[in-house]
Parts: sequence; structure tokens; C-alpha cells
Amino acid sequence: MNLHSILSTVSAEAEAPGVIDRLQSYVGNADQTIAQQQLADPDYWSSVGIITITGLLVVFLILGILIFIFWGMGQFFKSMDKRKAQKAEAAKAAEAVKTVAPVAVVEDAAEEDVVADDDEIIAVISAAIAAYSEADGKQYEIRSIRRKDSRTRSAWSLAGIGENTRPF
Amino acid sequence: MEIFVDTLNGLVQGSGFMGFIADGGWQNIIMILISFVLFYLAIVKQYEPLLMLPIAFGMLLTNLPMTGLYHPELWDPATNPYFAPEFIEQANGVVVNYVKEASLDYGKVLHEGGLLDMLYLGVKLQIYPPLIFLGIGSMTDFGPLIANPKSFLLGAAAQGGIFFTFLGACLLNLTGIDSFTLKEAASIAIIGGADGPTAIFLTSKLAPQLLGSIAVAAYSYMALVPVIQPPIMKLLTTEKERSVKMGQLRQVSRIEKVVFPIAVTVIVALIVPDAASLVGMLMLGNLMKESGVCDRLVKTAQNELMNIITIFLGTTVGATAVAQNFLSVKTLFIIVLGLTAFCVGTACGVLLGKLMYVISGGKINPLIGSAGVSAVPMAARVSQKVGQQTNPSNFLLMHAMGPNVAGVIGSAVAAGVLLSVLG
Repeated sequence: MNLHSILSTVSAEAEAPGVIDRLQSYVGNADQTIAQQQLADPDYWSSVGIITITGLLVVFLILGILIFIFWGMGQFFKSMDKRKAQKAEAAKAAEAVKTVAPVAVVEDAAEEDVVADDDEIIAVISAAIAAYSEADGKQYEIRSIRRKDSRTRSAWSLAGIGENTRPF
Repeated sequence: MEIFVDTLNGLVQGSGFMGFIADGGWQNIIMILISFVLFYLAIVKQYEPLLMLPIAFGMLLTNLPMTGLYHPELWDPATNPYFAPEFIEQANGVVVNYVKEASLDYGKVLHEGGLLDMLYLGVKLQIYPPLIFLGIGSMTDFGPLIANPKSFLLGAAAQGGIFFTFLGACLLNLTGIDSFTLKEAASIAIIGGADGPTAIFLTSKLAPQLLGSIAVAAYSYMALVPVIQPPIMKLLTTEKERSVKMGQLRQVSRIEKVVFPIAVTVIVALIVPDAASLVGMLMLGNLMKESGVCDRLVKTAQNELMNIITIFLGTTVGATAVAQNFLSVKTLFIIVLGLTAFCVGTACGVLLGKLMYVISGGKINPLIGSAGVSAVPMAARVSQKVGQQTNPSNFLLMHAMGPNVAGVIGSAVAAGVLLSVLG
């Protein structure tokens, strides 16, 4: 039983049987197009209304079922993660925990040119900081993002120079 | 000398130029000029160039007279009807009676069709859009949606654009300027899903004569999402709502990511079987990706297959834009209704986002609602951008990806519903 037959049954209770089938069965002629004949049908507007409402409801129904299923699945996996975390914590309980002072502002001293117009890079950087701040439990804010000075050498380049210029 | 003149005359008569002079030939010239505009949009403005460029070229090829690449008459059941054999038992044996059916004679298409007719079979038989969905599925990360399943609601709300535009298209019939059948109204409304393959999938079945105009409108508006959405988003939300920072999404396990495509396929296919080909292929691609055991297949689905199908789909959809179908008042209405569908879809998503903001006690940023229209990942990036304009330290992208990918599933389901009711 598909949606069409369900809808036909719904319409059958309210109005004439097979309204949508009837509307679909019009054949165009010289006087009137199919659309004009459908528009002239007394059941046209009720059918349009039913299709609109049923369509929206079915979309919400299906996605609602999916919410329910994946919410349940999420709860299950969250509780699994919690159990794992508790076990890990118990194992670590004896160990001393080293604390690291938080960094207040993310800024590189060797950076110069502003690249504020590159949204994608900013989005990636803010995502990384957002993830870091969540794990850390502290709030950070990006004050500026600057491109590294191209004149300074990369770590690999410096290593290469070091390797080649090292005295024998 | 006479032979030379005859040959020359034959060449001139057989050339495409004569087609322009023939009855209605001027319409082809207009269509070719429109294809040039689309070339400009694709190459210079870069409006969805991967599809817009093949669409424009298909439109150019089909409107060059005498090429014989595409025959619209072969795709109309009125001019190419199929006669099904009906076997009737009579006293002196079995008599075969041929009955005319509202279907196409594909045999004639294979016998008489040109290159683009052959490729168009993939659109008509609804092969390309599901294969595109296979590629999309193999590139999509449903993690944000699994981490926050409430996003499904926003993906569903944005489909309001489809159904309210369906109503709007029917109401336009009252103006008396032009009229749309129920099937045409549904095909136009699906533009609101902001999903090109879904729009092509539904239109090729319900109103193939509008395929060219609907595809051009759908892809143009998808490219214009960053222009269309922000004003609506800002209009419907307060600064306080826009600046809401949402918490970090939880980490989703591999098992959840593997179960997701299987569960979605089973549920959607059981409730709306007509959506099974789109959703099924989307989820197959995703399962191949998330399983981690089909790397070679994933690579093909993401690249070679996707690219080949994109070329076929774009060129043949463009080829359906023949003058007699495209140059009509209907095309203008489609452009207006398509824009309406996008705007209403965005507004529905944002409004449900506002409701969720109130219910959650201000924890949900309503801007992620606009990403429920499925233009992936453009709509989610728009949510991120507008959110960051209000609060520079805000990061909404991953939260908006949830409704965004839910919108892909939602629009495929909406197409299945319309196909089931009107197909």
C-alpha cells in the first residue's frame, strides 16, 4: 500500500472516490488545457491542500522516526563512553596530574600579514580552537590571524642548513 | 558546372543556417544567445560551473538546427506512443491486439535517436540522479547529524519551501496568465529542495517538458545561496539569537556511522518506496565510505563515476531546453517560483530554529535552520558566515552541517512523496 492509495482512501472518506486519479486523468483539448480542466474541478483545491499537508507531515514523520532511533543509539553509545572513561579514570587515579598554564591569546610572534579575508582558513582555525577550548574547559578568543613571514625559514629548511653547515 | 552548382546548393540547403531561416528558426537563435549567458554565468561568475557549463553546451547543441543530436518528439508519448500487445483468446486462436499506452516507444528512440537522445535515456530512466547521489553519499559525513539528531527536524522544516511553493504554483493558476498541472506544480516546487539531482529526478518523471528550465533555475539559485539566504536569516532573527554559541558536538563512533546508512535506507524505503532509489544510493555511497573496506569503490564513486555522470546529466538536461519548451511564460514563472521556494525553505528552517532556540532555553542558534535546504555545503557555510559576523568567535559550521545533510535526506523523501502521490 503506497502513499497514493492511502491518500486516495483519505480523500474517499471526505469526498468522491479517487479524486487525485480523476484529476490526473484529464486529457487536454482545443478548448482547455489539462491544467485548466484540473482547476475547474470542484475537488481541485481540497486535493492541493491534502497533498501539501500530507507531504509535509510524511517528511516530518520519517525524519521524526530517524531522530528517535538515532537519539536512542546516541544515548547508548554515550553511556558506553562514560563507562570507558570511568574505568580509565580509576586506572589513572593513583598518578599525579600535571597542570599546564592556559594560553590566553593565540598569536604567533613571527606572523605579520593579515589574512582576515580567507574565511575558510579562519573557520578551520576557529574550529580547532573551539574543540580545544571544549576539552580544556576554558574560553579562548581569536584576536588576530597573521601569515607567517615568508623570509623566515621553515623548521625543515633550518634543519637542512644546520646539517650542511655543521663543522666536521 | 551544373553539378558544381547543384552540389553547392545541396550544401547550403543542408546547412544549419537554413534552419534559422525556416519557420520558428529565430527561436533557436534566442536559445543560443541564452546559452551564451549561461556560459558567462558558468565561466566568469562560476555559478555551479561543473553543471552549468555542460547544461549551457547541451542547450547550444540542441538549438543548432539540423544537428539531429536530440529529438524532443521522441520523448513525447503523444508523438512517440508505445503500443502494448494484448493477447485475446478467440474461437479460432489467439489474436494480438495492440493497445496504445501512455508510455514511450523506446525502440524508436534507439532506432532514430542521436547522441544526446541516447545519453538522455539515463535521465528519462532515472539512472543518473541516483548515481550522483551515490557519489554525494560517498563524500558526506553524517557525523554532525548523528551527534545531534534534532537536526533532522530542521532538515524537515526547510522542505516547507517545496510544499508551500506547490501551493503557490497552484494559486498562480488563478491569475489566468498561464496554468500549471499538478505534476508541473510539484516539479517546480522541488526547486525549493535546493538539490539539483532530486529536482531532475522528479521533473524527468512528472514534467519532462520543463526539465531544462527547472534545472537551470535550480542550479542558478543554488549558486546564489550566499546572496539569497543572509537577508532572510537576519530579518527573522535577533542579534542575541544569532550570537548563540553552541557546545562542541560529541564524538561519533564508527559503529554509529556504519549503522546510520543502513537504518535510514530501511526506514525511508519502507515508508516511501518511491524515495528508495535516491536515498538508497546516497546511503550505499555513505556506507562504502564509513565501512572503510571499500576504498577503491569510494574513490571511483567520488571521482570518476561522479564526473562522468555529471557530464552526461548536465549536457542532456541542457539539451531538453528546446525553444518550444523554454521560451514560454512558464519559464518566467519557474524562475519566480523557484526563488520563492528557496526563500520559503530558508524561512521555514530559521523559524523552526527559533522555536528550538526557545524550547532549548537559548542553546540552539536559529541560524543553523537555514542550512536545512540541502545545498551542501554552501548553506552550512552561509550559517557559519552569518553567525561569525554577529559573534566573531562563533563556530557554527559543524552544527549547520547536521541540518544540511538532513536536508539532502529530507528533499529526497519529499520527492518520493510527490512521486508517490502524483507519479
